Amino acid sequence: MSVAHCGDFRQTYQDDRMVLRTRFIRIAVGAFILLLYLSPLVASNYVTSTMTTIAIAVIGALGINVVTGFTGQISLGQGAFMGVGAFACSYFMRVASMPFWLAMPMAGLTAAAVGMIFGLPSARLKGLYLAIATLAAQFILQYVFLHLDAVTGGSNGIASPPPEFRAFSFDGDRSKYYLTITVAIAAVIFTTNLLRSRSGRAFIAVRDHHLSAEIMGVNLFKYRLLSFSVSAFYAGIAGSLWGMYTGYISAEHFTITESINYLAMIIIGGLGSVLGSIFGAIFMTLLPQALTVGTGALADIFPKIGFLIMSFKDGVFGIIVILFLIFEPDGLAHRWRMIKTYWKLYPFSY
Amino acid sequence: MKRLTASIALAALAFLAAPLAGQEIVIGNIADITGGTGDVGKPYAEGIKAYTDYINANGGINGKKIKLLQQDYGYKIPEALALYKKFKDQDKVVAIQGWGSGDTEALKEQVAKDQIPYFSASYSAHLTDPSKSPYNFFCAVDYSTALRGCLKYIKDNWKEKRKPKVAFIYPDVGYGKAPIPAGKAYALELGFEIVGEENVDLKALEATTQLLSLKKKDPDFAWVGGTKPSTSVILKDAKKLGLRTKFFGNIWSADEESPKMTAGAEEGFLFVVGAALYGDKGPGMDVIKKVSGGQLRVSSWIRGWVSMMVMCEVLKVADKNHELTGPGIRKYAEQLNNLNTQGLTAPITYSSSDHRPFTSVILAEFAGGKMVRKGTIDLPRRADWKGF
Repeated sequence: MSVAHCGDFRQTYQDDRMVLRTRFIRIAVGAFILLLYLSPLVASNYVTSTMTTIAIAVIGALGINVVTGFTGQISLGQGAFMGVGAFACSYFMRVASMPFWLAMPMAGLTAAAVGMIFGLPSARLKGLYLAIATLAAQFILQYVFLHLDAVTGGSNGIASPPPEFRAFSFDGDRSKYYLTITVAIAAVIFTTNLLRSRSGRAFIAVRDHHLSAEIMGVNLFKYRLLSFSVSAFYAGIAGSLWGMYTGYISAEHFTITESINYLAMIIIGGLGSVLGSIFGAIFMTLLPQALTVGTGALADIFPKIGFLIMSFKDGVFGIIVILFLIFEPDGLAHRWRMIKTYWKLYPFSY
Repeated sequence: MKRLTASIALAALAFLAAPLAGQEIVIGNIADITGGTGDVGKPYAEGIKAYTDYINANGGINGKKIKLLQQDYGYKIPEALALYKKFKDQDKVVAIQGWGSGDTEALKEQVAKDQIPYFSASYSAHLTDPSKSPYNFFCAVDYSTALRGCLKYIKDNWKEKRKPKVAFIYPDVGYGKAPIPAGKAYALELGFEIVGEENVDLKALEATTQLLSLKKKDPDFAWVGGTKPSTSVILKDAKKLGLRTKFFGNIWSADEESPKMTAGAEEGFLFVVGAALYGDKGPGMDVIKKVSGGQLRVSSWIRGWVSMMVMCEVLKVADKNHELTGPGIRKYAEQLNNLNTQGLTAPITYSSSDHRPFTSVILAEFAGGKMVRKGTIDLPRRADWKGF
């Protein structure tokens, strides 16, 4: 059966547990994943490494979507939590000589622990006040990155050794891509399932109406804290992969700009949507690059005003983001649903 | 028929373009035009472009033209990384002109692995140790040596019996922190008394808190390790608060345009200049004057020009020896011995164990809104200073 009922009918428990509900969707998703794995064989290294950065951004965006999109707690510390993960992973690998396979989850857990500490204010604070508290996390952690020389290398930054498996070293663009995309797919599957679990439903209840949630017996503080640590865990994983990708980590990367970038990703992609995190990550990674390449090419054609054209880049970026927010306030995920609905009923729409 | 003609024309074009492409040397430039350091990044990139145009019009690299791919990364590390990948994989550049500490640090390991020489405008001393960053080069005095040169100059001109008191003001970022340990060590060696340390952010709009605390410690001299905007904030606030301290700063702290921002507060500010100043005498400056049509070029522009000039000199040698590859360029760069930059900088020498271009520091001071040269401090090329 490749068609679903019109409406949300789930008649068996097995039916209810399914994520991909029709055969068509299963085939499409399978083909897409296959495509992801086969693409490096034909794509250039440049495209492959761009896809690696997208995959890393997807993981980070999923993380901030857990805390902001699903639990409704604005977090301005995602960039710093990524930094914690990156530095922790490098530290575990260099000093404790752990393999990457162990160091990455450990770095995730370290970031989760740090995230939990900075999630503590969520017990008493809500909305903008909490946002400012997480902003403090961002700045405190940035300070730590610069001054905890033994772990972070201070202002010089520190090397992040490539992962190794037996004699194989993951230091090529392709191998890094395969590793990252696998983790990203795992993160997508995990998040999708997390949201259907007891904790995931509690997150959404906390977001939708915290009083009702509390009356129903949801422990607000526990779930807020949990969502912060889950979010930071993702950030830690993303940070470890970022370190692996660049081979070098410096505090200059994990700034407030990075945090806001992640927040922008999920707002543009769609708050509270797994698909939205993916779309947002793709959009926010590709747009600046497309603009850089585009303005660079234009500047080549008009060398006299080359620098002027390049200066427009940030302005154009801002305008595009604003236009998106005006015309797609529910994010790209919403637009995707609209397109899907349109084609589902084509050519006999209502 | 039309299609046939078109495809023949295309094929002919491709045929024609192929040997032409062989005559081009592709150089990438990761520049900051719009980002946080764009105020000096843009003239630097313009200097690189100007020298490329100049050399292409004057024989190129042994007849081969340079194709310079200049792109802005807005001082954002992910964009620098993406640009680097593009330059490496799509455009197949042989060498890169980079910019600040953000991109240079982030790419340090990768350029070493991919063997792509990276000329930066980040002059952190730790980039000069080839055992750690074999493919990084720059063409100005490193930050640590610059600070040491200032200290030496101050000590040489110190007349009183007591120890001079010195303080350090710098932004709490890699660029600001880089020379501080070296500066402190040398200050103690020279017999300074270090009285204080303050952080003023690069984007600071006022620095009264830090300067008030400094006023209590009453240093004779204070290092300003920021960029133009933060330096002018410090100088203005210091004047307002009536500090008697004499400030001195590094290579990015001031240039010809500073007096416009400080309105007199810059008087007596001592700072490092990396290259010759616009209007100086010498064959190199004559060319710049001709190219610029008599219009003022700030010192960061001249540094960009010099950086490209040095790279081109290396390219010429590498090309002559048919080793126009990353390792080849590195090899011949490390054989540069007292390369004359036509009077624009001190002669440049790199070796396979030391990437410090030179260790002399040119100092200038503001007097009456003008930059006045105060002389050159020649420091020894001490082994324990390499990479520190």
